[in-house]
Amino acid sequence: MEETKITRGQQEIREKVISQGLCTGCGACINLCPYFRSYKGKTAILFPCTVENGRCFAFCPKIEVDLDRLSLAIFDEPYDGTQLGRYRSILTAKAGKNMKPVTAQAGGTVSALMYFALAKGYIKGAVLTDRKGLEPLPKYVTDPEDVLKCAQSKYTAAPTLSSLNTVVEKGEEQIGVVGTPCQVLALAQMRTQEKPYPIGLVVGLFCTWAIDFRLFEPFMTQRIEIRNVRKVDIPPPPAEIFQIFLTNGEKIEIPLSEIRPLVPQGCAYCIDMTSEFSDVSVGVLEGRPDLNTLIIRTERGQKLVDEAIKEGYLTVSEMPKENLEHLVWAAGNKKKRGLKRAKEEHLINVEPLSYLRLQGEILNQLTQ
Amino acid sequence: MSHLTDPKEGATYLVMGNEAIVRGALEAGVNVASGYPGTPSSEIIENLSKIAKERNIYVEWSANEKVALEVAAAASFAGLRALCAMKQNGVNVASDFLLHLVYSGTRGGIILVSCDDPGALSSVNEGESRYFARQLEMPLLEPGSFQEAKDMTKWAFDLSEELKQIVMVRSVTRMSHASGNITYGKLPAEQRKAAFKFKGFILDPNEGIITSAPVEWKHKDQQEKIKRAKEIFESSPFNTYEGPEKPELLIVTSSACYLYSKEAVDVLGVKDRVGILKLGTTWPLPPRLLAKHMASTDKILIVEEVIPFMEENVKVLAAEKASEIGVKKFYGKNEGLLPSVGEMNPDYVIAALSSILGINYVPVSPEYDQSAKLSAFVHAPARDQVFCPGCPHRASFFAIRRALELDGRDGFVCGDIGCYTMAVRPTGFETLKTVHSMGSGMGLASGFGKLGQFGMEQPVFAVCGDSTFYHAVIPALVNAVHNQSNATLVILDNGGTAMTGFQPHPGQDFNVMGDSVPAISMARICEAIGARVEIRNPFKLDDTLNTLIELMEEKNGVKVLILSQYCALSPQRRGKKDYELSVDETVCLGEECGCGRFCTRIFRCPGLIWNKEKGKAEIDQVICVGCGVCADICPKGAIKRKEVA
Repeated sequence: MEETKITRGQQEIREKVISQGLCTGCGACINLCPYFRSYKGKTAILFPCTVENGRCFAFCPKIEVDLDRLSLAIFDEPYDGTQLGRYRSILTAKAGKNMKPVTAQAGGTVSALMYFALAKGYIKGAVLTDRKGLEPLPKYVTDPEDVLKCAQSKYTAAPTLSSLNTVVEKGEEQIGVVGTPCQVLALAQMRTQEKPYPIGLVVGLFCTWAIDFRLFEPFMTQRIEIRNVRKVDIPPPPAEIFQIFLTNGEKIEIPLSEIRPLVPQGCAYCIDMTSEFSDVSVGVLEGRPDLNTLIIRTERGQKLVDEAIKEGYLTVSEMPKENLEHLVWAAGNKKKRGLKRAKEEHLINVEPLSYLRLQGEILNQLTQ
Repeated sequence: MSHLTDPKEGATYLVMGNEAIVRGALEAGVNVASGYPGTPSSEIIENLSKIAKERNIYVEWSANEKVALEVAAAASFAGLRALCAMKQNGVNVASDFLLHLVYSGTRGGIILVSCDDPGALSSVNEGESRYFARQLEMPLLEPGSFQEAKDMTKWAFDLSEELKQIVMVRSVTRMSHASGNITYGKLPAEQRKAAFKFKGFILDPNEGIITSAPVEWKHKDQQEKIKRAKEIFESSPFNTYEGPEKPELLIVTSSACYLYSKEAVDVLGVKDRVGILKLGTTWPLPPRLLAKHMASTDKILIVEEVIPFMEENVKVLAAEKASEIGVKKFYGKNEGLLPSVGEMNPDYVIAALSSILGINYVPVSPEYDQSAKLSAFVHAPARDQVFCPGCPHRASFFAIRRALELDGRDGFVCGDIGCYTMAVRPTGFETLKTVHSMGSGMGLASGFGKLGQFGMEQPVFAVCGDSTFYHAVIPALVNAVHNQSNATLVILDNGGTAMTGFQPHPGQDFNVMGDSVPAISMARICEAIGARVEIRNPFKLDDTLNTLIELMEEKNGVKVLILSQYCALSPQRRGKKDYELSVDETVCLGEECGCGRFCTRIFRCPGLIWNKEKGKAEIDQVICVGCGVCADICPKGAIKRKEVA
């Protein structure tokens, strides 16, 4: 019998990712070619492409993600399925005294690290996410001052990596990226290609889910004047609310139960809460709205954090035990949920194309 | 001077069928001619317009066929001779007025020339105008040769005047667009004076008012005219017979099919067995003439194109005359011997004759047939219909398709009639999802745009051309705005009735005779109707895209985007390049990821060619018109554009 040729391009992205509802609109396939574009948070295929091995496919964090391959390439160790991924240490952190004040989320750790990395030349530019109204917009900055404008969580799925594709095409190097777990996973794919992307720093964000902007926009338009939004926040559990701070000082609270239906379907298959393939990952710290949780994963991440502390851009302290336990519990839950669902729907370790690949033993352990 | 106005009687010229019709009208002393462009009819009005001043004829391209017929009828009412030309489906548009006109009757000779398009060579239908003659009870003439096309046209005016009834002359593509030698007749010297008389007795056909009421009285009068027509047709020289006195088989045919029948009889060498009755007066049929010929044989084959119109009429006559002529065996379309779709050709007639006469005729050997088909399949490159190099429609649909895909809600476009109809094909990125008659795109969009209450969330677009806008889109747009539909109309304004050959339309400041006339602004019409109107240049791709998105996102109401850019073949653009284009081969990605031959595989302007050996794109400098749009679609900027001074 004639063997069916397996192609890895646009058609597979359409059939196995977008039609399957796995796409989170991370932007990894956007701006590489005239075929993929992102509009209002959704990935659009404008015309059919026939390239058999496309970068869209190679970069996508929702198709043929071989966790062992990525883990070996980035950490020199295979994927072990632990709740928080591979890391060196976990601390609490906030911006140090030398960091400019900024309206940031929690401790402002991400802004401080990116500001510092840019100012000290660890990276030459940074791919961040800005916001226009409630719409998240990718942004490439080279001036540390511009980092401050992109501070704060957006909570809406953003095609941030489209901007990375654009600047790499232009020949930029030593690029820092701040991304959600799906974006950090795409970055891991990009960093481990034959021609690896010139990434100087990956700061991963914690994420349980994002919000589909296409659903979020009409939802919010019914409730508020979008241009008056100053900041949005989801305080750590058990608050169960979504907060919107308006420019007039008003605060609006919406129960999370009303927000959850706006989450893209793709988030339900996600197995990563803490951006396991980053250099450092940052999230909120439960019970302490002024602090962040900081996970240091790589040597490069460690060095940056050490320098930032030394130069007064970052302050760290030990992670309380109960917080760590809760983080492990929450991340473990997400991993199990995602794996279980993906396994039930035959999306893991299947031929010829699979959403995820990992060692069968680990998969069984995690989905028991 | 055009040969069409050569005053020399007996002069012979090689002319196109449509020119023969024009000469016939000139010999009849036509005063007024109107029409709406549509292949295969357009050359009639075009040729008349060229000699309009010379012969003191008033010629116009009307906004649509109904208005055209009304303009022609007014001339007839005023005692002048008038011609109105259109393609087959134009008769549908004119038919409402026509229904009333045949009741009211006419004064000066008036003919409706319908050029039908069997096989839909230049149409999206192969509609039959012949049925209107029967349904509306008016005489129908069909020329079977080029000479007849002229002679019959001239005679049709006389017949119309005699009957005080409009006469329909029906041509087909192969008659209108083929050429043959004809001998000219005399051109009249005298001119008529126009005056509309209405002061006489109300029912006086010459000086009373002209209307379809009282209906029964007028209808009866109309049917009397048909009876008179039958009598006249009994001895018409346009009905001819050739063949043996008692043929084994009688072919009854008309129009271009007469030539196919003659060829078939000739090829099979059955002149002694088969007779051909060629009818020029196809409605009403002359009963005695038909009975005489049917009585001479037992077998009758009717050869005509598309629907068995004549076949039905002949059979009715045969039934009526059965007691005199006996029972006949009929062959034709009803029992499937000849096809009821597409064009007729000699091969079909040969096959039918062979089957009836028991002749074993093999046109080509099966081996040859098979190898010809195979080699066509293997060697002939696939050639789809495409927009011309530099066609603004390509740019427009590129933007529309991108806007719809970005939006991602399965938005769609209702198409209309023009070159842009081809956007159902890859040349227009398969953007159109419905295509019907002129103006139907906006009408359908008006309807789709009201389906929100049933859960339809898809954005709705319609496209139309500029000429189409004036023809039939305005009422649909009025309907959409008034009924608060939610849809976007994109008017592809390429500065003329481009598809049929740049006939002027009401949006232009000149008419077909070259006079300066007031241009009617589409934008102002749309605004007055109450739509939001934007005007863009489709060659500015991003600007167009952004506008489309903006309009699509506006939740309610009717939006109009006029994409204004001259047709690449238009007199305004022809021969003028804005840019010199070239491809930088060192930058061109070719088939690699990041491009995948985007310009030659997706954008597909014929001015772009794919060099297989080099794996690079190239510009075909011979046909490139220098619009420069491809420079904007190249993902790598490999296509360079240099302004032409």
